[in-house]
Amino acid sequence: MRFLDRLLGALPFIFGAIIIAGIVHILSILAMPRLAPRDAYARIAEAAPLARMTLLAPIEPGKEFAPFEDPATAAAACRYDLDRGPLRLRGPVSGEGLVALSFHGRFGDVFYSVTDRSAARNGLDILLVTADQLAAIEAYDSEDELPSELRLVAPEKLGFVILRALADQPGDMEAARARLQAIACGVEASAPG
Amino acid sequence: LTTFLKTMASVAIGVALGLLATWFAVERGYGFGAVNAGPWIAWPNAGSPEADPYARAVIARSAAIPLGLAEGLLFVARADSQDRELDPACDYRIRGRTPPARYWTLNAATPEGFLIPNAVGRYGFTSSEIVREDPEIVDIVAAREARAGNWLPIAGTRPFVLAFRLYDTIVRASARGVAADNMPSITRERCG
Repeated sequence: MRFLDRLLGALPFIFGAIIIAGIVHILSILAMPRLAPRDAYARIAEAAPLARMTLLAPIEPGKEFAPFEDPATAAAACRYDLDRGPLRLRGPVSGEGLVALSFHGRFGDVFYSVTDRSAARNGLDILLVTADQLAAIEAYDSEDELPSELRLVAPEKLGFVILRALADQPGDMEAARARLQAIACGVEASAPG
Repeated sequence: LTTFLKTMASVAIGVALGLLATWFAVERGYGFGAVNAGPWIAWPNAGSPEADPYARAVIARSAAIPLGLAEGLLFVARADSQDRELDPACDYRIRGRTPPARYWTLNAATPEGFLIPNAVGRYGFTSSEIVREDPEIVDIVAAREARAGNWLPIAGTRPFVLAFRLYDTIVRASARGVAADNMPSITRERCG
């Protein structure tokens, strides 16, 4: 009986501890992307200036720009800040060698990805914008012509695009790097008006 | 006063438990949406805008740059098909079918995902360079010493992991449908 009384007395504290544990766990998981010190964006920022296609170091021991990168690929990055204006990515893709692009927000999450196979026939033409910039551009769109580029709204103003090209044979690394260098990235001249 | 002490103790225990749970979730890469296929594990949601908070936390903490859904899918094996840690003192045979994809690549890495230096400077295989006896089946041996056929060099003394990527694959759409017999098995051979 005494034991039961003590147990009942302790119950509120046990429940309290469990509830606090749950809250702390959820908050720390949600805060993690903002607390991680050297996240992907920070590493890319060390290697790649804003709005310039930058080839990243070959994926070799000790030189990788991120964990779990593929040594059979060449990689390039284009870091963006949409406060400077929309970002345009343009270049030829042949569909013959794999070129894959992923668009990342400030905290590394992927909001869009595409490969050369699914890109338009006449090459890659992507305009990365904020919702406000998109509205401004659409205001000047012609009524009966579809825009030739793919317009992509970024969730945040800061972020980065990673391009990967596969060298499927050991001697093809230079060709893979060349495929990436053929793609340009830069700030789009301000919208008309 | 005892009530105050008990309250403080339960708050402290609660905070500690909560942080411990976070540490487990992030360092061990647990979380939701894992797809198992034999010894291989993939997190298809990590590369999508629908990534859950656990996946986002793991991505931020590891600074990994996941493949987007449309690019492909990364599978990681931390153990062989008998669920034993991968030991560089042993030889492993990676054999079986591969899911449909335009290309796949395989490489060995540390558990944190970095390449391990080896004497020949070869780190992986792609689907194009592999020698096949049976067009449907891949057969690769991961070993310290050179082998005839498809040899993946491994080195070091720490346990390692295998990373297997499918590029331009339809598997992403139905990642939950990757059956174990659609992925190669990892069989430990000679050790020592």
